[in-house]
Amino acid sequence: MSKRKFKVEAESDEAFQELFQPEYRGKKLTDEINTADDKWNLLPAFLKVKGLVKQHLDSFNYFVDVDLKKIIGANELVLSDVDPEFYLKYLDIRVGHKSSSTPGTKEVILPPHECRLRDLTYSAPIYVDVEYTRGRKIIMHKDLEIGRMPIMLRSNKCILDGITEKQMAKFDECPLDPGGYFVVNGTEKVILVQEQLSKNRIIVEADEKKNIVQASVTSSTHERKSKTYVITKNDKIYLKHNSIGEDIPIVIVLKAAGITSDLEILQLVCGSDPHYQDLFVVNFEEAAKLEVFTQQQALNYVGKRVKTIRRAGAPKLSQLQEGIEAIATTIIAHITVSDLQFREKALYIATMARRVVMTMYNPKMVDDRDYVGNKRLELAGQLMSLLFEDLFKKFNSDFKANIDKILKKPSRTSEFDALLSINIHSNNITMGLNRAISTGNWSLKRFKMERAGVTHVLSRLSYISALGMMTRISSQFEKSRKVSGPRALQPSQFGMLCTSDTPEGEACGLVKNLALMTHITTDDEEAPIKKLCYVLGCENILGIDSATLHSFGNYGIYLNGTLIGTNRFPSKFVSDFRKLRRTGKISEFVSIYTNSHQNAVHIATDGGRICRPLILVENNRPKITADHLRKLLDGEWAFDDFLIHGLVEYLDVNEENDSLIALYESDMDNAESLFTHLEIEPFTVLGAVAGLIPYPHHNQSPRNTYQCAMGKQAIGAIAYNQFRRIDTLLYFMVYPQQPMVKTKTIELIDYDKLPAGQNATVAVMSYSGYDIEDALVLNKASIDRGFGRCQVVRKNTIQLKRYPNHTKDVVSGMRVDEDGKAIFPHQALGPDGLGEIGARVENGQVYVNKCVPTNAGESVLGHNEQSPSAESHRETPAYYKGPEPSYVDQVMMSVSDNDQALIKVLLRQTRRPELGDKFSSRHGQKGVCGIIVQQEDLPFNDNGISPDIIMNPHGFPSRMTVGKMIELISGKAGVLNGSLEYGTCFGGSKLEDMSKILVEKGFSYSGKDMLYSGITGECLQAYIFFGPIYYQKLKHMVLDKMHARARGPRAVLTRQPTEGRSRDGGLRLGEMERDCVIAYGASQLLLERLMISSDAFEVDICNKCGLMGYNSWCTTCKSSENIIRMTIPYAAKLLFQELLSMNIAPRLKLGDIF
Amino acid sequence: MASPQREGFTVPTSISHAALGQVTTKSLGVKYNCAQCASSFSLGKNDAIRCKDCGHRVIYKARTRRMVQFEAR
Repeated sequence: MSKRKFKVEAESDEAFQELFQPEYRGKKLTDEINTADDKWNLLPAFLKVKGLVKQHLDSFNYFVDVDLKKIIGANELVLSDVDPEFYLKYLDIRVGHKSSSTPGTKEVILPPHECRLRDLTYSAPIYVDVEYTRGRKIIMHKDLEIGRMPIMLRSNKCILDGITEKQMAKFDECPLDPGGYFVVNGTEKVILVQEQLSKNRIIVEADEKKNIVQASVTSSTHERKSKTYVITKNDKIYLKHNSIGEDIPIVIVLKAAGITSDLEILQLVCGSDPHYQDLFVVNFEEAAKLEVFTQQQALNYVGKRVKTIRRAGAPKLSQLQEGIEAIATTIIAHITVSDLQFREKALYIATMARRVVMTMYNPKMVDDRDYVGNKRLELAGQLMSLLFEDLFKKFNSDFKANIDKILKKPSRTSEFDALLSINIHSNNITMGLNRAISTGNWSLKRFKMERAGVTHVLSRLSYISALGMMTRISSQFEKSRKVSGPRALQPSQFGMLCTSDTPEGEACGLVKNLALMTHITTDDEEAPIKKLCYVLGCENILGIDSATLHSFGNYGIYLNGTLIGTNRFPSKFVSDFRKLRRTGKISEFVSIYTNSHQNAVHIATDGGRICRPLILVENNRPKITADHLRKLLDGEWAFDDFLIHGLVEYLDVNEENDSLIALYESDMDNAESLFTHLEIEPFTVLGAVAGLIPYPHHNQSPRNTYQCAMGKQAIGAIAYNQFRRIDTLLYFMVYPQQPMVKTKTIELIDYDKLPAGQNATVAVMSYSGYDIEDALVLNKASIDRGFGRCQVVRKNTIQLKRYPNHTKDVVSGMRVDEDGKAIFPHQALGPDGLGEIGARVENGQVYVNKCVPTNAGESVLGHNEQSPSAESHRETPAYYKGPEPSYVDQVMMSVSDNDQALIKVLLRQTRRPELGDKFSSRHGQKGVCGIIVQQEDLPFNDNGISPDIIMNPHGFPSRMTVGKMIELISGKAGVLNGSLEYGTCFGGSKLEDMSKILVEKGFSYSGKDMLYSGITGECLQAYIFFGPIYYQKLKHMVLDKMHARARGPRAVLTRQPTEGRSRDGGLRLGEMERDCVIAYGASQLLLERLMISSDAFEVDICNKCGLMGYNSWCTTCKSSENIIRMTIPYAAKLLFQELLSMNIAPRLKLGDIF
Repeated sequence: MASPQREGFTVPTSISHAALGQVTTKSLGVKYNCAQCASSFSLGKNDAIRCKDCGHRVIYKARTRRMVQFEAR
């Protein structure tokens, strides 16, 4: 049976086939399986099920399958103000398949790659089933298309979901591409994960200087978002909310919420603790002073202070009604009140007040905003659902307005059919979704949300940069604020967020990356969990008297932050709950933990929590045995089987606090404490990008961070379909190699299949003087053999437009000179006016000879008599500009969605490394090429091997990148041994073993070799550290940056030279440089630099009035008597004129100095 | 089934045209390849951008028949 399953598995997923081979990564089936060493096999199994971008896919799938239906349910009815009989009800919604189609069909417009090529949006139709009235009849209509939904690649609505590598190739898609992004108007867009403070949870903060304690909760419902505070002011407690004019004493709020007895209030807030009672009593005086004793008085008090913006037409409410309304719907909006049953809400407010009192008594009881457990990650699905709900509401209101307009008409010729008017707006949803994703502007009036930069273009610099983008998390914090808290590395990030991968500079610590083995939860149903709690012995909060609520040993049970009951035996309750979760009776992503400071058991089912899998431990022995792992290796079990059998479970950050997690199995031997969990693999603290670094645990930490930034700039293989792609700019490495020193992460993320770098033989020594400041010496022969060679392809898009007067753009053929040969600019063109494939295009040559009609602007009417065939066209060719020629790689022609011809020309350059190109090893050690030396002049060892790169040893002491040295030794051992070595974090090949191999093969254990000088032939005075190190070529190349100018273009306004390389600009002599020249006293140089070589201008100045004239004539004095001709900067002349325009007359007084 | 069109040769539409050596289709002799079925065909000035065999709407220009010299460095 296992064999059959194995076969099916292998067919369905070829990428993991290797995993199921009888020999997997040097391990045979018959080999002994050791739990301590082989438990890491769970990691590939996890990645198979979850993958690196699974959080994006899960979130999008949840949105399309579940959330859409909820949105439809919440907005299901469209009624008419005119005709009370009319209604339209949405029954169901589907994306990508009709109700009639067989299950599993996926209907998308075109395969994703074609959308990329044709600048289209990869989308699928949204179908709804509706029921509505036509006259007296009720009509059902199925599969009504209301718009198109952009589809996330590899989600369950995508055609790439669950297909084999062969089928992938048919779609021109790379099987290693992670997916999780959208293709909108031909560009790949990622919705980055957004980090924010958790919603609907109480956060207590204290400002010790101002002596303020506040508990706040952000209530978020489908309708609105609002924030409620319970805050201290002069040691008295108030409730604050945006829609209430002034702060309301807490006692009044509680009375308004139906807790009228002072004793009960005291019991709810303080319990029987005398310290808390002492702190709280003042609040009763406050209420008594304001003469609020009853619920009605309290409601009136609240109602009087409510700021209301009533819609026109709504009836005016009395103060009492306003008060009820405020308590019921405005304050703490996420707790719904039905039948004026305020008790739950009152308890919530009381809980907030209690947390404030506790913090007043003990300031250490504050919450940490930066604690990862207090954060939630918002994913593509949630953002899309917000957007879709907004658009759907707009769609419905437009639709309603439309039918009202028709129904208002007194007589209609035919019976009114609502469907005829629904299709008119169907473009709104499509366009709205497209626009939001392509611009990244999420503006939702409902939530006062105005977010820009939500989406980013997927960086395709290399495979790693695309992968790194999918795991990136951006924070909502302001970048300008100078607080270190949100930027600091939190201990609670361990295993959840990568400890190394963050950018340097302003976004440092605010942009984070997910660790290798994390999962982000989606929303789970709350109601069944609540029921389960009552079954497990939680006493319902509505049935408990307030005296026992805070009695000693009584733990409150909180479900998603809301108190639902109490329990006297919390540890039993929690362990029972966990048992149920481990047996799969409830979702594995529901977390439960006890907080003994607050005497609370918290259960969380909400989405956006980060969690990770851990191995369960019983009696200090892991529950996973060799037998289980064998089943995994045999392909009998998948990762989910481990979950179902209760061997592995997911823990979120909060529940981690309830656990004792052993890092290694050996830690548990003879340990006194009882461990609850065992880490699957310690190297999963790092993310995908940091996982590329060999021996990162030997490096100084910032070096690993630098490498994380640089790994994304490395040129390498991008995807299996890289030569089919037509992107704006792509870099390919010509001969990429997989690293000699790999890590397990590299294998897991398939970096070895799409590498970005080459194994260079490095000699760590000084050579010439061209290697100072991290410059590298490159071997010319290596370059000739293809070291560091890369290709740069650039896309140029030309659209042939159609104009309203029936003219259109055309491409015309090349022009020839008298010999019949093409003129120089047209040499690369073919007879069709497009560049010939393979032709060389030089600076100033044309690759598409587009012509625009000269009368394109003319109106559609008129001139109709003239023959339309005699159109005249003006050439508007696309010129190639660049210091080096390119070759035409591909010319693609197609039609975009507005039926205009689309031509994409791909120009290619092959570049060999040159002076100034940037290289880097995998240890944050970047350097530019300082000199290229003939192989003859380079040192060589007794095997005749000379280095590809010579690196200056001064790079080591201050950087402390010991990992690089070990990489060299491991790499050298691997080369000599014919094996690939591992540099996995907290593991990998041991230095001692590597040295042994070196000695066996006749080399020094230290990795140092005796070299001969290439110049004199003598042997060098010292032994040289010599061996292979994986080097990356970075995208910064001299060819893209070099710039110089003598004379050139000037800006129109100031007549000064333009700025920037792209405009062929000048090199600025700025203020500071000017200061130097002034200090030196080189006045003539100053004059030449600042005026003569810049914007010198001859003016005629009248020495009488001091104003400027022209042609030796002063227009002010009407004479030419006192005119003096002189040279001033044009900018100065401009300033004088601008001042004149503002009624300020700058007058020049001229006199002789000498 | 041999390929109906040889490279660089277009079938004249009528006898008289053939006699005059005229080719009516204003094809410029540039070949294009379909991205889907890889068939080779030529397009006229005002033809729609579409594969003549399968109707696919992405086509690529075929490689030039001119000599291209590269500097091997």
